[in-house]
Amino acid sequence: MNFNKIWAIARKDMGHYFASPLGYVVLAVFFMVTGFFFSLIVEQTRSASMIPIFQNSVIILLFITPMITMRLWSEEEKTGTAELLRTSPLTLWEIVLGKYLAVCSFFGVMLSATLVYLLIMVLAGNPDLGPIFANYLGYSLAALTFFSIGLWASTISENQIVSAVITYGILLMLWVIGAAGGSVQGALGEILKYLSIFEHMDDFFKGVIDLSHLFYFLSLIFLGLFFSVKVLESKRS
Amino acid sequence: MIEVKDLVKSYGTIPAVDRVTFSVPKGSILGLLGPNGAGKTTTMRVLTTSLAMTSGKVTLDGFDVAEQAHEVRKRIGYLPEVPPIYGDMNIISYLKFVADIKEIAPEKKTNRIGEVLEMLDLENMSRRLIGHLSLGYRQRVGLAQALLHDPDVLILDEPTRGLDPKQSSEIRKLIKSMRGQKTIILSTHILPEVSLTCDNVVIIDQGKVVAADSVENLSQRLAGGKTLEIEVKGPGAEVEKAFGKVEGVASLKLLGKETRGISKFEVTTDGSAEAREALFQCVVKNKWILYQLNPLGVSLEDVFLKLTTKETAS
Repeated sequence: MNFNKIWAIARKDMGHYFASPLGYVVLAVFFMVTGFFFSLIVEQTRSASMIPIFQNSVIILLFITPMITMRLWSEEEKTGTAELLRTSPLTLWEIVLGKYLAVCSFFGVMLSATLVYLLIMVLAGNPDLGPIFANYLGYSLAALTFFSIGLWASTISENQIVSAVITYGILLMLWVIGAAGGSVQGALGEILKYLSIFEHMDDFFKGVIDLSHLFYFLSLIFLGLFFSVKVLESKRS
Repeated sequence: MIEVKDLVKSYGTIPAVDRVTFSVPKGSILGLLGPNGAGKTTTMRVLTTSLAMTSGKVTLDGFDVAEQAHEVRKRIGYLPEVPPIYGDMNIISYLKFVADIKEIAPEKKTNRIGEVLEMLDLENMSRRLIGHLSLGYRQRVGLAQALLHDPDVLILDEPTRGLDPKQSSEIRKLIKSMRGQKTIILSTHILPEVSLTCDNVVIIDQGKVVAADSVENLSQRLAGGKTLEIEVKGPGAEVEKAFGKVEGVASLKLLGKETRGISKFEVTTDGSAEAREALFQCVVKNKWILYQLNPLGVSLEDVFLKLTTKETAS
């Protein structure tokens, strides 16, 4: 695995975000909505906590993810540039990680804007930074998991809309599956509950970093990337 | 340099390429010729490791395409059917990206990009967005990408597609100029392109090789080098009679009218050199004057049509 090549792909894909209005629009919408939550929450609770912002912003992630992951591979396949990547001295892992890194970097830009809210809190109040760090971690892990799933969906189809719909479907299921957990008895109920993303994010929002939750997110991220590689592999036959 | 042996590629049960065998010597140019859907692109995609083969063996500079794909990829430049370009990048940043993924050393990058831009006459366009370029320019950017890492082997799928005649001839010139240094396979359905640029030709039809030979041999073999055009100064009728008696002459046709005592014939022989000598001797013996004795080449187009329409005709 050669990091220079991964980085080259990541840079190129980051470029695509900002070569079209998409990147800017997504950023603007994200800032607008999180800004709205921030001012509303500060106004109503007068507390220096980021929890409500992140809790509410997970929904935005759900909507944004397919938009920023759908083209990652679909577009390459559609325009024929996939041929260049496939026939260059690149491993499939390098390609997949490069693309993943691109969307993660884009998220980094997105997330960095929320530092403004943190700064305002630090200046105006006395926030407890420990839980806020856990909030950031939980939110980022959820985002990275979503992106990994979105990337996998993008490898499946050369039609971006199809990729987006698949991503929406899976993310919504991961979201609502916990509800089924409550009504199903026994082990199955437990499994369904375990799969729910919400279950695993809650502790982070409470300020607790639990290794089992970390494991959940990291394994989903790995699975998404692993299956992306497998799908690309199968395209050669 | 490139050895393709019994290559089969099936989609489901339908073979797109069926036991194709050919080889390309180092430094030569091979034309892969065939009608649309014959399996040219599939063959090229297997050769470039983009597609896995169903069975067979393909080696490139001794490296197995299936087993040592990574080594193969380092050595090939590939221009696919559709140039693999990003419309939202400019030429320079695109080529920088290609340089990074093709393992070009960072210190050589700028120089090499400059060279390739010059080679393809793209210098003035280097800051333009690829998406805003005409088809011909996009094709050239695609070629630039294939040439960038100076690979030993070039695989070009219809390199002159979308180019106007002047651009086409420039690209052909460029390809020809690399003869001896690079091993090149190009596919086309434009026949003159093959006779103009290639050393050898493989004709594929319906996934099978129908002919593989050097360009001259192929034209000759099919025509048999048998048809001669002869111009003789002498009494037309007598000449015709005398020629008819020459050994090895199969048929004879007078072309046009006798003008100023010169008549022109198209003579079909058995293809032997003796027949040509005998015709010459016949002219000398009768004290006529020989103006010309030319073997009539058959254009590749005839060969192509003959080979690829054979099965449907029968």
